[in-house]
Amino acid sequence: MTANVFWRNSRIAVIGAGSWGTILANLVAKNCREVQLWTRTEEQALAINSQRLNQRYLPEYRIDDRVHASSNFESVLGRDTACVIWALPSEACREQARSISGLLRGDEIVLHATKGIERVSLKRISQVLAEELPCRRIGVISGPNLAHEVARGDPSATVVASHFDEVVEAGQILLTSERFRAYSSNDVTGVEWAGSLKNILAIASGALDSLNLGWNAKAMLITRGLVEMVRLGLSMGAKESTFIGLAGLGDLLATCGSSYSRNYRVGLRLGKGEKLEAILPTLGGVAEGVHTTATVRQFAKERKISMPITEGVLQLLNGAVSVPEVIQSLMSRPLKSESFEA
Amino acid sequence: MLSKSGKMSSHPAVRFQQIPVVEGKLSSFDKIRGTIVDDVVSETMRELTGADFDLVLGQALYSERFRLKHFKGNIYTRSRSKKDRALWNRVQAGLLRPSAEVDREQLLSGVVRHFGEEIAGHFDPRVYRFASHAVPWGVSWLLNAASVRRFLPWGMTESLASRLHILGEVTALQRLAERGTILLVPTHQSNIDSILIGYVIYLLSLPPFAYGAGINLYSNPILNFFMSHLGAYTVDRQKSNEIYKTALKNYSTRLLREGVHSIFFPGGGRSRSGAVESKLKLGLLGTGLQAQIQGYLSGAKFPNVYVVPMVMSYHFVLEAGSLIEDYLADAGKHRYIMMDDESWQPVKVLRFFWKLFSAQTAITVRIGKPLDIFGNFVDEEGRSIGPNGRTVDPRLWLSTKGELRSDPQRDREYTRELGNRLVDRFHRENTVLTSHVVAFAFFEGLRRRYPDLDVFRFLRLSISQRSLPYDEFTQAAAQLRERLVMSETRGELHLSPELKTPDTEKWIRDGIGQLGCLHGAGVIRESDGVVWTEDMNLLYYYRNRLSGYGLSLLAESEGPNRMPGENDSKRFLA
Repeated sequence: MTANVFWRNSRIAVIGAGSWGTILANLVAKNCREVQLWTRTEEQALAINSQRLNQRYLPEYRIDDRVHASSNFESVLGRDTACVIWALPSEACREQARSISGLLRGDEIVLHATKGIERVSLKRISQVLAEELPCRRIGVISGPNLAHEVARGDPSATVVASHFDEVVEAGQILLTSERFRAYSSNDVTGVEWAGSLKNILAIASGALDSLNLGWNAKAMLITRGLVEMVRLGLSMGAKESTFIGLAGLGDLLATCGSSYSRNYRVGLRLGKGEKLEAILPTLGGVAEGVHTTATVRQFAKERKISMPITEGVLQLLNGAVSVPEVIQSLMSRPLKSESFEA
Repeated sequence: MLSKSGKMSSHPAVRFQQIPVVEGKLSSFDKIRGTIVDDVVSETMRELTGADFDLVLGQALYSERFRLKHFKGNIYTRSRSKKDRALWNRVQAGLLRPSAEVDREQLLSGVVRHFGEEIAGHFDPRVYRFASHAVPWGVSWLLNAASVRRFLPWGMTESLASRLHILGEVTALQRLAERGTILLVPTHQSNIDSILIGYVIYLLSLPPFAYGAGINLYSNPILNFFMSHLGAYTVDRQKSNEIYKTALKNYSTRLLREGVHSIFFPGGGRSRSGAVESKLKLGLLGTGLQAQIQGYLSGAKFPNVYVVPMVMSYHFVLEAGSLIEDYLADAGKHRYIMMDDESWQPVKVLRFFWKLFSAQTAITVRIGKPLDIFGNFVDEEGRSIGPNGRTVDPRLWLSTKGELRSDPQRDREYTRELGNRLVDRFHRENTVLTSHVVAFAFFEGLRRRYPDLDVFRFLRLSISQRSLPYDEFTQAAAQLRERLVMSETRGELHLSPELKTPDTEKWIRDGIGQLGCLHGAGVIRESDGVVWTEDMNLLYYYRNRLSGYGLSLLAESEGPNRMPGENDSKRFLA
């Protein structure tokens, strides 16, 4: 059986019906037999099944008839599920994975779309899933994919990364459509770290935009921020080239200019003087960058990896300083070489 | 002779006749040898189907010509190379004629068969029975001649088993050997290893194992005889062409599928640096996976292959000097002329055993927790236990799009993960001895005085710079032991019984004494309240047994306990 035929006849489970989970379910629905979408509450599932809409996250986005929502894991992960697409916030990953691990057989392909890392342990999501699930064939989906733009049908691209070719192949076949392209990679570490680290810079970028500065400042932030990402990524065993790809620079460019990004909005509102505690409950979702910043900065400090922008973002999140003060301190650092090896 | 804890108790007397010689699958090997070689040829040809035969043969011809040009053999290996030359002359002549006249497939198949015949060993049960009795006999004779027998009461003699502590998962190994095929993967420090492993297998009443022996071991007439008749198959690391490598893997797969327990040294050769292996050769390791897949597909009764790590700990290593020089020359990329491996001369080997038996020293062998072909633990029934503690069915991990079959890319990745897992297990199953701890403590104590030096400059310190006050050394050693005790409770390594005592003076004396057994006072010497070394390289070698555990107070850390992001700019990591 060719791969295309196999996947066209397959049953796919999507775990998590946030905006990105819903869109992934819809994208995949065009390339498979049926999609089971797990929602947190039964009301949400009923609403999706009857109205074909995800009122809370994507009120104007029609959900494919082949998507069936349910809040019951047993029915979502039915017998012949061939692939599990994981779209939960990073904090929920380990616990949820543990609770469903008994429902999986072990030959399912698992693709996750979570851009974050586990707090304290610094484990990537694919590592967390490998520890908790009986499955070994795991991959990641990451790229410049602002949910609302993909929902609108704007042309977009993403990266599917795994050490297993068959996982990448499955991801590419399932996700591809006329308006959506999936590129392959085997640098799982790089793609996962790039996706997590760019959230820190999205916060920085929002903060910068609160001052209404021009393109020079933004370009400086993005390029020097990218250097920090590469530094940390290399120390984790990532490939440098991944960071100038879709999951790195691509995602950075998209999130650093878009008010759709929750992380960006956190930065923007902090810059305008709001308190973090007041911002977080009103975002309509999790801003992964907030926790990532603290975890990464702690690690970078221990390993003596120079990450001044991350340091600045952390101070901003702690409410210790204002945006102009952070900029002032970054600009007055000793002069450096451009190299990321510094 | 095995206590309940699976620990080997020492023998009060030599009683080898009590251990039955188990013959197992290898006994009938010579009857099926021909079939096995045929299978290897057909399987290898199948894998090469679709390849450009002219290109494959051309590449092999080129690399073989190069190898033969630099080949230096003795009378035992020369006959092999003579046959090789004749073969390649034929191939060259064939390739020069048009393919209409000389069938390329036939030519290639001839080459594969040549390699297959070279690789395949023999097994003679009579030789095995003889060796099983002669080796212990010879060893016990040596032991009793060397040891201080006259101080023992009448009738008490010592055996090698009393100097060999076999710890760990002995029972699990014995049980799994009846439920599947064992792939024993030992760490490798010394040529002595092969003898010891053979002896351990015999002591544990396991049937004989097949193993790949480097072709250089065939250059010794006595070894040549035994290896040729005891199920060893020939591995020639100099042959780097694809045809040979494929044939070798297929041979190993075929043996495992036949249910013949096998031994690989996954580190490739002996550890040059003295460290526990952290980089493995995956080629042969992957044959376990293939054998299991083929076992499933053919409906075999016991398709499972179990990977059992084994870690040997020596207080002193016969070849330490030449190994570490070799390592440094390679790591430092200096111009270097390889020393003769003089340590394998019979006199030296004899001397090693003499030292071993005349001193109060022992070799520790730990049988590690058995793994499946993916690196999962297996329980006593041979079931795979996934990382989350649930049993997993290997069949499902080997199924792609609903079909159980081999998939080269997927299987390479599984084998890579198995390799990583093995490196971790090797470190965790390692038994740390007093000699390793004193060497590490002294080396690191010295290093803290010269934190800016990289390893190559550090090893060239002048003799007057290589000393520490005895008190400073013992203090550092005591602190190191504290950290090792912590590591042991975290399951990162094992400590030998001597290290369980907090009596610092006592175990330090033991460690220095053990190193002195073979090396005299060269490695660590203590006099007038000062500790110093004559041989920095040897000190480094023994210190490296604790490399990779993140124990150094200066940055040096990799291996399984490596914190993410740590690096090794001074290159001390072995």
